[in-house]
Amino acid sequence: MNQEDKLSIIRDILLIDEREFAASIEKKINDLELSINVKDELSQKVNPIIDEKIAEFIKSMPNEFSSTITEALKQEIKNSQDEVVEVLFPILGKMVKRYVQHEMKMLSENINNQLNKTFSYRRFFGKAKSKVTGVKDSDLIIQKQLQPKIEQIIFIEKGSGIVLAEYSKEKTMDEDMVGGMLTAIKSFTEDAFKKENQDLNYIEYDHYHIHLQNFSSYYIAVLVSGAYNVIYKDRLEDRLLELTEKFIKPDILKNKTQLTEKIKVYFKDDSF
Amino acid sequence: MTASKKIVLLGHFGVGKSSLIRRFVENEFSEDYIVTIGVHISKKTISINETDSASLIIWDIEGHDDVKKARASYLLGTHGFIYVVDLSRPVTFKNLETELSYLNEKFPKIPLKVVGNKKDLVTKQHIEQYSTILTPFIDYFTSAKTGNRVELLFSKLAKELL
Repeated sequence: MNQEDKLSIIRDILLIDEREFAASIEKKINDLELSINVKDELSQKVNPIIDEKIAEFIKSMPNEFSSTITEALKQEIKNSQDEVVEVLFPILGKMVKRYVQHEMKMLSENINNQLNKTFSYRRFFGKAKSKVTGVKDSDLIIQKQLQPKIEQIIFIEKGSGIVLAEYSKEKTMDEDMVGGMLTAIKSFTEDAFKKENQDLNYIEYDHYHIHLQNFSSYYIAVLVSGAYNVIYKDRLEDRLLELTEKFIKPDILKNKTQLTEKIKVYFKDDSF
Repeated sequence: MTASKKIVLLGHFGVGKSSLIRRFVENEFSEDYIVTIGVHISKKTISINETDSASLIIWDIEGHDDVKKARASYLLGTHGFIYVVDLSRPVTFKNLETELSYLNEKFPKIPLKVVGNKKDLVTKQHIEQYSTILTPFIDYFTSAKTGNRVELLFSKLAKELL
């Protein structure tokens, strides 16, 4: 056995374990590469961990992040109020409309139920009227509920806007301020149209209707609540024309107390 | 007895018409300038003597550098005018004589008070410098900021109107 053979034997004895060890490492690396590079293999390993983490995150989110999210949302809404209103307005409008429709339907049904349970002369005549007009008797009752009501009558001097007389059952507005503002609005509108002899006749404000009856030196503003319609407008106009024709003389216009008394007596019963 | 009287304030932009009204009606003043668009109406009732009082309906109309540009319909039926100039800005009173002549011609019988406002911003020397334009016409030197002579202006005019 020469020197070379001896060295070979020693190398075999020393390195055999290492080779096996290296082979096993190489196998493990291959296995790992397989699990990382092949999607299905990786999913099998990683998915349970991710699922667990997500479950933990969902569980802890309300506690840990709620204040931050609320603050961020608040800030965002504050910074873009116009956009928020723009988005919410149609939705709210639909909701309100649907609610009102629902409530009206309920009211109508309630009235129907009540009517079915009772019998009276009024009910008998109501039925008769309903048959003649073709309008459901419950609708007639609702209509009666929504009847227009005069809230305030103000006689206003044209131009100056000074109040000549005022009558109201319950005082809700300062007539001097209203007289001034209505006159300013009238002046502006009538000027803007640049056509002579045209008058502003009507203003709608929330659930109030302001009927304006124009005369040469003054105009009458009638604040009406309820269902102001063409028929009512016609009747109101007739009443106002009758009042002015019968009672309003130039000397009375200068006497606030007398004029107020005339209006008060004339409109004592405003159900016409 | 209470009589209602319409008073209209006239003058250039930013002379202090709204501030004078605010000082008189609410006894308040603000340095912020909010331009009047269209018209703003205020009301204050003041007693003239033991039996009579005046309900002043004050029309604060938007400022114009020329009184002819004021919406004519806002001036209809006015019982008294207050023409306001800004003492610190000569441009607001350089045509004072012409402006007042126009008003006197158009509304010959209507009482008119001419007011030099923002007195707190100018010195005596400054007023003297422009005395030839101001002295013959100005009835009251006022300050809406301090309230100086504001009440007096409105009460004197109210007395004239009754």
